[in-house]
Amino acid sequence: MAEILTTCVYCGCGCGLYLRVENGRVTGSSPSRNHPVSQGNLCVKGWHIHEFIHSPRRLTRPLIRRKDKLVEVDWDEALDFTAESLARLKEKSGPDSIGLLSSAKCSNEENFLLQKFSRAVLGTNNIDHCARL
Amino acid sequence: MKGLILKKDNLVPLLRKIRKGGKLVAPVQNRHGDTLFEVIDDLDRQQLDLEHQAQSSLKPFFFPQNDPLATYNCAEDYSFEPVVSAEPTVYFGLRSCDLTAVLYMDVIFSQNGADTLYFARRKEAILISLGCNQPFAHCFCNNTGSGPFLEYGFDLQFTDLGDSFYVEADRARGEELLERWSYFFTPADEDDRKKQYQAVLEARSNFRRTVHVDPAVKRLAADPDLQPVWRELSDRCQDCGGCAYICPTCTCFTIVDQPLAETHGIRLRQWDSCTFSGFTRMAGGHNPVNHAEQAIRRRFLHKLKIDVEKHGRPSCVGCGRCVDICFGGVDMIRFIAMVNDLKLPAEEK
Amino acid sequence: MAGLATTFGSGAMTNSIEEIGRADVILVIGSNTTEAHPQVARRIFSALDRGSRLIVIDPRRTALARRADIHLQHRPGTDIPLLNCLMRLILDDNLHDDVFIEHRTENFNELRDMLYRLDPTEKAAVANVPPAQLKKAAELYGRANKAVICYCLGITQHICGTDNVQTIANLAMLTGNVEKEDTGVDPLRGQNNVQGACDMGALPGVFPGYQAVSNEAVRAEFSGAWGRDLPAEPGLTILDMTHGGGKTVKGMFIMGENPLLSDPTLEKVRNTLENLEFLAVSDIFPTETAELAHVVFPAASFAEKTGTFTNSERRVQMVRRAIEPIGECRTDSDIICALARRLGYEMNYESSAEIMEEIALLTPVYGGMYHDRLESSWGLQWPCFNRSHPGTVFLHKYNFARGRGCFVPAAHQMPGEQPDEEYPFLLMTGRVYHHYHTGAMTRAGNILNRESPEALLEINPVDAESLTLASGEMLNLATRRGTIKIRALISEQVAPGMLYTSFHFTEAPINLLTNAASDPKAKCPEYKICAAQLEKIN
Repeated sequence: MAEILTTCVYCGCGCGLYLRVENGRVTGSSPSRNHPVSQGNLCVKGWHIHEFIHSPRRLTRPLIRRKDKLVEVDWDEALDFTAESLARLKEKSGPDSIGLLSSAKCSNEENFLLQKFSRAVLGTNNIDHCARL
Repeated sequence: MKGLILKKDNLVPLLRKIRKGGKLVAPVQNRHGDTLFEVIDDLDRQQLDLEHQAQSSLKPFFFPQNDPLATYNCAEDYSFEPVVSAEPTVYFGLRSCDLTAVLYMDVIFSQNGADTLYFARRKEAILISLGCNQPFAHCFCNNTGSGPFLEYGFDLQFTDLGDSFYVEADRARGEELLERWSYFFTPADEDDRKKQYQAVLEARSNFRRTVHVDPAVKRLAADPDLQPVWRELSDRCQDCGGCAYICPTCTCFTIVDQPLAETHGIRLRQWDSCTFSGFTRMAGGHNPVNHAEQAIRRRFLHKLKIDVEKHGRPSCVGCGRCVDICFGGVDMIRFIAMVNDLKLPAEEK
Repeated sequence: MAGLATTFGSGAMTNSIEEIGRADVILVIGSNTTEAHPQVARRIFSALDRGSRLIVIDPRRTALARRADIHLQHRPGTDIPLLNCLMRLILDDNLHDDVFIEHRTENFNELRDMLYRLDPTEKAAVANVPPAQLKKAAELYGRANKAVICYCLGITQHICGTDNVQTIANLAMLTGNVEKEDTGVDPLRGQNNVQGACDMGALPGVFPGYQAVSNEAVRAEFSGAWGRDLPAEPGLTILDMTHGGGKTVKGMFIMGENPLLSDPTLEKVRNTLENLEFLAVSDIFPTETAELAHVVFPAASFAEKTGTFTNSERRVQMVRRAIEPIGECRTDSDIICALARRLGYEMNYESSAEIMEEIALLTPVYGGMYHDRLESSWGLQWPCFNRSHPGTVFLHKYNFARGRGCFVPAAHQMPGEQPDEEYPFLLMTGRVYHHYHTGAMTRAGNILNRESPEALLEINPVDAESLTLASGEMLNLATRRGTIKIRALISEQVAPGMLYTSFHFTEAPINLLTNAASDPKAKCPEYKICAAQLEKIN
């Protein structure tokens, strides 16, 4: 059993909370008493943040569309197909025919990488996220 | 039995020995300054913290927030296997309030037949409490009969005497432990016993506040309908459920089946809170406890009236954690003060 | 964002969350704080317990409004006339801060002239607020020693969102309630890392740290670091892409977003996504958007990765891996790097700490953010320029980021849509306490979903009576863009003529109905107001 301090992924308050891990499963959450925002408490979403992590609805394998159905494939196939499709679009219609949406739920590092990917690898500034939504 | 003395220098060596017989759980201050009960893997790295109150009680160890009860498989070879997991564990450094809360949970989980999962863990547990020389900011265990020191109920109780601990046993398993590791201890003399008694007396006088629990219990027994109190508290309540989750004696739960695939999954027992509206909502949508006021009323009456009637004592152990945790100040201390400030209907006339 | 950037020089929350609890007067506008930002509401409650005063400006009688000293229940979309009126009353009572205006701001005359031209009684009538209450509010805020304003999407998601924000900033500067501790203007961020995604340049016009892509020197620096020529023209915004019908962009990569529930006028979004030549989605759940994708990547959740989030008060803090990714999930970083390598660009990082080192190198306000520092603290608030910089608790201390604060007067602008005979109700949208955004995460939880299992449409008892409607009845709710089925909840939280519901539920996708008319500067759509009609389903 371990208690891992992390940051809540719900609203912009950014509470510090502990995830309780037992046998590789997250079984609970609790507030950090000394964290400057949470100061010992969480809202109802924070107290139940672990519930979605092991949800059976989670995606666990890459999928590719075949005949109107998404079917499970291995990682290499999904990545190869994506890279080829993006390269083909860029070649055929130019970099600005591709658009990327980043996420206010992903980390800073991931957002940084995606905009770098957009600008340096694909060559387009067509990157946005739902901040204005 | 007579008390024994353990030099403070010998605490970690003793715990190191004890740990070999199973898991050891103790309050640890992590590098962020939070104090939590943790499984001790490395006594040299994990910083034992006997100065601060742990932010949660031991409840999650005996009654976790999400507890698998059984695995099910509804394919052709239908199966339903109960999950019971427990290993010998020594809990060191819990405070009197938390120990009282475990004893209280023993009562709750033995109603209508003993709860298999709870008692599997409980039977493997040895509880070593540490009396409180200094109460923490919101403590009022002196008013709920659950501290700062206990007369019974512990396997072992430690009292801090400065450079040593005064150690006494109440249960057989505690005595066994003392016998097994007797070379760490020396017998306490008359002077030690006096010092221990002195520490208990001083602790009682160190409380920063008096919370008038008994008058409030009496008042609620006479007249549980305190509309102005329920109204104000329900206005303040933010519906987070934190008070029930953090409370060492709140044991309400719901049961949910979590499919892992189409044909198999696990049945979980999950913490629930009586202040949630879904707690009482029926399938057709009707809710017998429909208003926030009534949910708050039920929670506090349960703690200070119904449990007194059923078990002879309020199910509040005075740990003060609900005071820290509440967004809106809907805590036991405020509630008791509000109840005692209300005039009785007879007085108003 | 655009609004505060123009007036103060920076678009972030000026305070720390902790400071809000120390203000004497707190003005909350367009924020259902108790449900959307519970930790901020908690600071407000403790301030009230210490004797602070609270003004709430909201068309709904929210839980916070019920505890306010003054609640101005104005007509939706009339924030500007209302705030202008407040400022005029403050001027009339001589409660403005002459010294602050003189030394710390510019363009005051323009604001003053505009305020003197307006008729307070008329503006009060536009906002549908009793003049006496307005006067009380003006006095309370104007006389405050330390006042804080909190606002949220109720302000920005309007056709005049940027003007709304600038008007709020005007009010704060008029009374000198910025640049000092425990005073300020605080946009509460809706999502956990909106601040960070903006800071990191996931925006069409800026690199990390709000450095314009059109600036040649900036571009040269990034180009040098990344070894590629970089495009100079700002790109398309989200609605340009998702409403483009597959013509503005032909292929998309969508990471952790679900525009097919979150964007306005969903029919257009569906049409666009269906017309794309290629759509790749990376997400933790099979979202509505993922169902239309050609490729779907299973992403690791926050519990399965290490990195940082930046909260509303600009605090950059650690997210730590608690468990290994479930199934075959991979982190979004791994996915992006793998794609980059396949496209012939070497992207290799041994850890997210190494990515942060690159961020620190290229982003001045993140210049001192290193994982080892963030690990051993509760995070750092930007700007934090170098390793020895302690971070910044509140912005604009004695000095606005842009030098002087600039008053930008704004006039009332009618919402994109008004109720009429055919669509007589005014529909507002927002959040409920138990759910978050498109509900993908919260609705997967047993307790959260039990507490709030479906979308409810709040309707005033007066309107319910005239429609002979009872709570729990099903309704057809229609706007000019579409119709959904939804359950009625009779509630005094909304005024007569108003309706309110939430956007979390795919069974009642409210954004089929919402209006995509957006603010011309911030491109933020008018989610908060549209005209609607109701019909009972028999």
